[in-house]
Amino acid sequence: MKTKKAQVKTQQMAFMLLAITLFLVLAGLFVLMFRFAGIKEVATALEEKNALLLVTKIANSPEFSCGEVYGTGNINCVDGDKVMAVKKNIKDYEGFWGKGVSNIEIRKIYPREETIICELGNYPDCNTIRIISGEIEGISTENFVSLCRKESEEGETIDKCEIAKIMVSYEEIR
Amino acid sequence: MSNKKGQDYRYKICSAMPKKAQEEMIGFVLIVILVAIILLVLVGFSLRTEQREEVESYEVESFIQAMLQQTSDCKDNQGYLSIDKLIFGCANSESCLDGRGECLVLSDNLRGIVQESWRTENRPIAGYELKILNGEESLIPEMKEGNQTKNYKSSLSEFDRGGNQIQISFRAYY
Repeated sequence: MKTKKAQVKTQQMAFMLLAITLFLVLAGLFVLMFRFAGIKEVATALEEKNALLLVTKIANSPEFSCGEVYGTGNINCVDGDKVMAVKKNIKDYEGFWGKGVSNIEIRKIYPREETIICELGNYPDCNTIRIISGEIEGISTENFVSLCRKESEEGETIDKCEIAKIMVSYEEIR
Repeated sequence: MSNKKGQDYRYKICSAMPKKAQEEMIGFVLIVILVAIILLVLVGFSLRTEQREEVESYEVESFIQAMLQQTSDCKDNQGYLSIDKLIFGCANSESCLDGRGECLVLSDNLRGIVQESWRTENRPIAGYELKILNGEESLIPEMKEGNQTKNYKSSLSEFDRGGNQIQISFRAYY
């Protein structure tokens, strides 16, 4: 009789241990889920923010930005005329945007046209300005900007802004 | 005969284990099952809400800013109007010098800009949605394309000018 009672007790203990383990595992999973919830989104957002900050920093640098020329001080506004001037003297700007930056390109999005690289001879009848045209390597990031320029129409100077994308390629510095 | 033997055997075991211990075991099992179910419900609920979480995007924000600065082909007495000015002109039911309604020009320009900027074919972008509201009313027909997935990036811009409360919201689905 004593053996049977001991067997039941052992069974009871085993069942209790199993139940406690299950409970602890579930509780642990719950805690882990709360701790790591949204960590992927945070990482993605941070990565995107860092890349876009670099692009925004370049777009809003005095060498590129519209400033007050096109009315109000718009952010993410790139002056096409300034960019062409920088492109002309690109040798003076070697390493200016950091040693890792290998490619900077501004491409008009709308209206859609066949790719025409901007040179001093065909500007503004073109849609892609290659400021630094090195090899596209490392990390490439892009952001929307407004590409503005001054145009002459019937003897009047008009402001023309078009939506464009600024693309930057850079090597990751560890 | 063997059946009676079995009944005796079961009786012996049951009498060996006190009733109180049995009740304790059942109670404990019930509590564990109850807690596990509650935890599972909570886990399921939090996972479902997490998926619908909106991610603020700097890229979409930049897109809206650049889009608003785009110069349209609609001219008034002061020159060519930007999308920003067209929105408020449309809210006041104004027309271009060539007689076209500003709302029509706005719709055409926005459709082209959005289609070219967020191309859904062969891209990670599954779809998009653009809404422009004046107070509670929609200023132009809502622009939608592609699939509305659970992962999206969005931005909301609000402007208040001349009694018009304009709200621009854009969502890019991935």
